[in-house]
Amino acid sequence: MDISTSKWGYRGLAAWFAVFAVILYTPLVLLVVFSFNNNELPVFPLKGFSTHAYQQFWGNPDLKGSLKTSFEIAAVSSVAAVVLGILASIALVRRRFVGKAAAAGLLLSPLVIPYIIFGIALTILFHVIGIPQGLWTVVMGHIVISLPYTILVLVPRLERIDVRLEEAAQDLGAGAFRTFRSITFPLILPAIVSALLVAATASFDEIIIASFVAGDTVTWPIYLLSQLRFPTLLPQVIAVAVIVIAVSALIVVASEVGRRYFERRLGAQLAAAEAGA
Amino acid sequence: MAVEAQRTPRPAPLAFRGRRRPGLATAGLVGPPVLWLVLLFVVPVGIAVVYSIGVLSFFPGEAKFSFAAWKDFFDWSPYLQLFVKRSLKVAAFVSVASVVLAYPVAYFLALCTTKRKYTLLLLIVTPAFVSYFLRLLAMKVVLGDNGLLNSIAYSLGRNRDHPIPQLLYSQTAVIATLVFVFIPFVALPIFVSLENLDRRLLEAASDLGATRLQAFWRVTFKLSLPGVIAGFVFVFIPTLGEYFTPLIVGGTTGFLFGNSISDLFGPSLDWQAGSVLSVFLVAVVVVLMAVFARFISMKRVAG
Repeated sequence: MDISTSKWGYRGLAAWFAVFAVILYTPLVLLVVFSFNNNELPVFPLKGFSTHAYQQFWGNPDLKGSLKTSFEIAAVSSVAAVVLGILASIALVRRRFVGKAAAAGLLLSPLVIPYIIFGIALTILFHVIGIPQGLWTVVMGHIVISLPYTILVLVPRLERIDVRLEEAAQDLGAGAFRTFRSITFPLILPAIVSALLVAATASFDEIIIASFVAGDTVTWPIYLLSQLRFPTLLPQVIAVAVIVIAVSALIVVASEVGRRYFERRLGAQLAAAEAGA
Repeated sequence: MAVEAQRTPRPAPLAFRGRRRPGLATAGLVGPPVLWLVLLFVVPVGIAVVYSIGVLSFFPGEAKFSFAAWKDFFDWSPYLQLFVKRSLKVAAFVSVASVVLAYPVAYFLALCTTKRKYTLLLLIVTPAFVSYFLRLLAMKVVLGDNGLLNSIAYSLGRNRDHPIPQLLYSQTAVIATLVFVFIPFVALPIFVSLENLDRRLLEAASDLGATRLQAFWRVTFKLSLPGVIAGFVFVFIPTLGEYFTPLIVGGTTGFLFGNSISDLFGPSLDWQAGSVLSVFLVAVVVVLMAVFARFISMKRVAG
């Protein structure tokens, strides 16, 4: 007998899984439905198919401007977060040092600490040292919250690389930077791409920190928040939301599929190398 | 670990001796990311502590050292009441509900499916990467007066002028929305801990005469506890400071502790009281993290 489930237990669990998936996706599907609904308000009953909301959005410079701002913030902050994440991950995986557990705890803390605390902390900091709030202050905040995600993606990957490859390079005379460029970097490249995507997604729709430190800068979530008060603009906001949801889901799935592909390829290469040796 | 042990005793190759200073390199690696967090998180919280006891003042004006703001807060102030009666309650409710609802899903994926296990997992986890804000918006569409649930109720004969009470803009809405938002994050660590479970232990339990329920309770569940606790923590702690969900779906009755903080730093402009509340929240979070860190290792969870 299978000890983990009985036949009926299995059916029950499978049914719950299905219900769970439906509950998880229903609200998102509803947004898609309403984005094509021929009505000013996202309410039932549906009034027929229309792409009006999508056309309106193309003609709305404020909305497009906010998307561009968020895109820029996501691009800069994700690159910076990944650079810091690579440094941190190499230190955590390859080095021993005093206070390692504390450093890891601090670096990963944004995963758990309520974002409002970071929002307040940054508000206080920028107030005290007199940095004007705007695009760059949001970038600084987003680096903080993206960093742990990049570490979570990079560390497992670094752990799987054979340390002897790096040591061989150093024995052959490569310095630390050359070793990284020629050996470590190509091997962790798939993870770096995943980390970039995850960091960019985390930044792109971040609202809490942005709403504290954005000043006059209007990011896409801030624009969305301001539009919730004007129901007539809601359909186009929902239309953009649908596009954003589709793109971010696509990025997640694509990066996961890509990661698996590279893992398999690397696995095969390593196996071939072992066999050759 | 084996790799580590192999590496450490090996002396540096002759050519590098004296030139390589690994201590310095390590500082160069770990320094920048740690400094970033120290500068943007630890230092400002330190500043908040200093301001909360009036050593300095945020705005031009006289600063007077006193613990008055702290005394006011702990004197069963409305803020403290809000924290204990609302935020703690909502956080406990949301995290327990998320774990209970997500556990069977993780169990099904980890132990009952063989083919397409990771594809199904991806299906469950993908919504977690969809904007938190957009998912709040989506819940509004479900819970609103003309939303999905009410429309179903109307078509079943409910009077259109009397939508289901307390569905949106209530504490219930906040709880339901938070469960919806957080649940993929809970399913993941539970899945990882169940996935790492050695199935032979279950066979052993079965051979020794355990029923399925006994084997589950005494082997599977016990061994999945790190994942359960991690999932619980991932929900419980962020919910304690939650302020954006109540802002969107909570109305006035869904107001939480985090909303007081944002209010004090925003419209009320009382940064000293705000600092007290923030420092208090940081302290609670740090204590909770220290307590829970004993039960979970980050490695086992992140897999």
